[in-house]
Amino acid sequence: MSADVELSNVSVTFGSFFAAKNVSVKIEGGEFFSFLGPSGCGKTTLLRAISGFQDPSEGNVLIDNKDMSGIGPNKRPTALIFQNLALFPLMTVSENIAFSLEVRGVSKTDRQKRADELLELIALEGQGEKKVHQLSGGQKQRVAIARALAVEPKVLLLDEPLSALDLKLRQRMRTELREIQKRVNITFIYITHDQGEALTMSDRIAVMNEGELEQVGPCDEVYNNPRTPFVATFVGENNPIYGRIKSIDGKTVEIDTPDGIFRSTINDNTNLNINDDAIAFVRPESLFLPRSDDNFDNSLPVIIDSFEFEGNIKNFYAHLKSGTKIKFSVPNAIDTSHIKNGSSINLGFDSQKSIILPKAPLAID
Amino acid sequence: MNSYFFTQPFFKKNGRAIAIYFLVAIIFWFVFLVIIPQLYMLDLSFRTNVPPLERGGPKDFYTFEHYQHFVFGSKTAQDAFNFVDLGVFGRTILVSIFVTLANLAFCYPIAFYIAKIANPSTARLLIVSLIIPFWINELLRSFALRILFANEGVINNVLTGIGIIDQGILFITYDIGLYTGLIYAYILLMMFPLYNAIESLDVNQIEAAKDLGSSTFRTHWRVVIPHAKPGIVSGCTMVFMLTVGALATPVVLSSPNTLWFPQLIYQWFNMNDNWSRGSAYSIILLIISVIFVLTMMRIFKVRIGEIIR
Amino acid sequence: MTSSHVMKFMMGLYLFIFFTYLFGPLIIMSFTAFNSAEFPAITPWECFTFRWFNEGKIAYDGQHLAGLFTDWRLHDGLISSLIIGGGVVLLAVPIGMAAAIVLTQVKSQLRDIYYSISIMPVLFPGVIIGISTVVLWDRLAGLGGEGFISEIGRNGIFLTILAQTCFISTYCFLIFVARLQRFDQTQEEAALDLGASQTQVFFKILIPYLAPAIASAAVIAFLASFENYNTTVFSILSDQTLTTVIASKVRLGISPALSALALSIIALTIIAAVTYEILRRREEKKYALSQEKYVTEKAAISRIDKDYKVGFKIPKGIVAIILLVILCSYGGTQILKNDLYGQSCIDAADKEKKSKFLDQLQVLEQNELSDEELGGGNLGGNLDYGDIFGDPNLFQDFAF
Repeated sequence: MSADVELSNVSVTFGSFFAAKNVSVKIEGGEFFSFLGPSGCGKTTLLRAISGFQDPSEGNVLIDNKDMSGIGPNKRPTALIFQNLALFPLMTVSENIAFSLEVRGVSKTDRQKRADELLELIALEGQGEKKVHQLSGGQKQRVAIARALAVEPKVLLLDEPLSALDLKLRQRMRTELREIQKRVNITFIYITHDQGEALTMSDRIAVMNEGELEQVGPCDEVYNNPRTPFVATFVGENNPIYGRIKSIDGKTVEIDTPDGIFRSTINDNTNLNINDDAIAFVRPESLFLPRSDDNFDNSLPVIIDSFEFEGNIKNFYAHLKSGTKIKFSVPNAIDTSHIKNGSSINLGFDSQKSIILPKAPLAID
Repeated sequence: MNSYFFTQPFFKKNGRAIAIYFLVAIIFWFVFLVIIPQLYMLDLSFRTNVPPLERGGPKDFYTFEHYQHFVFGSKTAQDAFNFVDLGVFGRTILVSIFVTLANLAFCYPIAFYIAKIANPSTARLLIVSLIIPFWINELLRSFALRILFANEGVINNVLTGIGIIDQGILFITYDIGLYTGLIYAYILLMMFPLYNAIESLDVNQIEAAKDLGSSTFRTHWRVVIPHAKPGIVSGCTMVFMLTVGALATPVVLSSPNTLWFPQLIYQWFNMNDNWSRGSAYSIILLIISVIFVLTMMRIFKVRIGEIIR
Repeated sequence: MTSSHVMKFMMGLYLFIFFTYLFGPLIIMSFTAFNSAEFPAITPWECFTFRWFNEGKIAYDGQHLAGLFTDWRLHDGLISSLIIGGGVVLLAVPIGMAAAIVLTQVKSQLRDIYYSISIMPVLFPGVIIGISTVVLWDRLAGLGGEGFISEIGRNGIFLTILAQTCFISTYCFLIFVARLQRFDQTQEEAALDLGASQTQVFFKILIPYLAPAIASAAVIAFLASFENYNTTVFSILSDQTLTTVIASKVRLGISPALSALALSIIALTIIAAVTYEILRRREEKKYALSQEKYVTEKAAISRIDKDYKVGFKIPKGIVAIILLVILCSYGGTQILKNDLYGQSCIDAADKEKKSKFLDQLQVLEQNELSDEELGGGNLGGNLDYGDIFGDPNLFQDFAF
């Protein structure tokens, strides 16, 4: 059983501060949906509005097309996984998992049965009698999920639950979460500031900044066709090159920059005219070291500053003549022994792999 | 009212039954146990002292006579001022200040030792030993001192027995016993705030000061004491307030011819049956206490939450 | 000797003096409980006796000095102290808990004011709380006619419970505040989210979390109530609690039975302290063991810790025990050798005192004038404690 969640014009204000501003989004039943944004962007506020801990100042939250205003968190068909998990330290693992059944007056034997089922689901069979502090970080994580799933909620809300884990465990938990979601087939609404997490797990993501939604869409769309400079630089890495629009020809645009004229692509609903200030974005993996038989739309002369070995790829940090910093990455398989710090080389990129957007603030890293 | 007082809607947050329990408990406490009795006592202190049956009658009217009595004495008295009561009052305050400072001086080295020098198990042992005497009733502790200080008590008997003195020293008559007892009575309330404050100081700071060539005295004066200031203020306030309002220790240890201010109140109240005057004197004691707390807060710039934790 | 040695020595000396000051009076008082003399003293030592714990005695001048277990006034006082203590615990713990929980919910602008009101009662002198409660309830009783109000308004035990609750609630409040500061409020939200009602959150999450604080608040409240004199002496009216009985005993005439009482309390205290300490250590050990993750680290640390303790503590304990054994056996043999134990010794001492008593009476009569000059100061014995407020004539002229 899963449910649609719809936010219609939701605003949350604290005094004169807008924690969320006019947010409208519809999340389909059974979807894995992520809100992605830097800390303080209002994503947690939205989650609290969905779960019922925060009444919206304006607008409505609808779950299964039912208006939720006036309904407390304990009466909503949602379950929330807290950032710190909020497991009950004085109870055993089983008691934690069966808590929602206990408060609904389910008999002890039934509770035990359900707890055992869920322990099996999270691969912690026979550990029900342990205290919470005897578990490892990943086990706690799974217990928190099992606890939230015990009464079969229609929507599971997750508030950065992986942020306390170490890298390896975090990566494993991503896969695990995705698998659990498929198995129980309910709506997951996930909140994170980590774009890697959002991209790997979600069906769709919503990028938030300062209380407002910047872009909503499937992961690849958000990554490949960002709508705003904020999204372009917050989701994945991007090299911005500032300039002015020189010409527009269908989807192909020429931009005049201090380092030369480059050809780039414009989105359907981006409104730009000739002579407008704009930014061309090229991702580090879209910049290539041209071989003799390659033919790129653009050629970018750079001077190498430094180099970083990451394993599967090598990152190069360089700058343009105007001083604009450029980062590009090369698969490890390609020989780069001729590239030294201080050497000048030409990089190439295709106009389809670059996107042009009106000038606006970037995501500050 | 919700949005004025509480961060979240009160009844919604706590549920109806629990919210009602909270409100009843708090209002019962604040209003019926704290505020109304004090206000009624204030009212009574401005009224004539009449037997219960004449309350509300013609003889029951508002007057300053009890406060006037405290300052100027009875109307028939010869002196311009009420030297007896004013004397008791002044002495109580001066001795309380002395007791407070003595406590501070005695406790500081011990608190520092336990917090920073002693190893953990010794510190633990010392703390437990500090607490044990204070589980014993204040009256009985004073009684123990009385056994020592009585005119035919242990100290006098030992001293005369050895032959250092040939006649007993009048410890009680000269209130030496009382002062000792008052210092004894609330020493723990100086020790713990001090200990807690010093304990929270990073040892590295002390070592850094020493490393920079600061003398022991200077290290304490410039590093430890400023850090421990809230604890010092807290301990001093508690000790002063308790000493100035002490009744049990003076009952056991004060000499027959001198009184402690609360004893004076007791006397008006229980022996002379003049409740109005007893109330007036209580108000005076209360005002002094409040002034002391406010002065401490002002001088040392601490918040009330730091004084009492 | 370096200066740090000097410092260490001075510190040790100071510690010794300080703890002598703390314990010396109590230890001496404990010894006086076993001296058969009517006046609690070590010197002159009459006979070793347990009578102050049991039956007491009729003194040579005809005064009856009750022993600890036969003193009905102490027993009655103890019973009302227990009732009051129970009542105070039942009121002050829920009040303190409610006030502390609500503190977490009031707006930050109001928090300081709310906190100040909550801790105000401990800044009031105890006598004032007693007096204000009595004057208010006397008035209420007067207004209430002959009904229930007038009944309880003049009931000392009821008034004492109210008066003590006034400030003991603050102690409880502070204990709960300290515990709540470490409470993770998302637990409440998690429980709500899982479908618990607010009431269920209170009973299933908050109360279990506060359980240790409830226990310690109850203990502290009971002890504070049991100990209290300043407030109780006003609010108890015509009844008596243990402390007011002790106070009037000290006032009327000092008796070794009080030493016996104090010694019993000291013994109970030490037993309680030791039990608490043992329980605490056991609990700590249990917690350390249960934390599997830290087992290796912890074990290393606790081994160091243990070695340290073993190397340090036991010799100290042995020295103290050996000293105690030597002292006891020396005292015991002295008492036995000099025939200072048993009925025969007591009889002999009494006989001697009876004969002296007549002489003393004569001396007393001759000295009457000089007594007045010294305010009864130099006499020692009972007259010294006859009236704590000294000469009642002193205040006569402004009594009304």
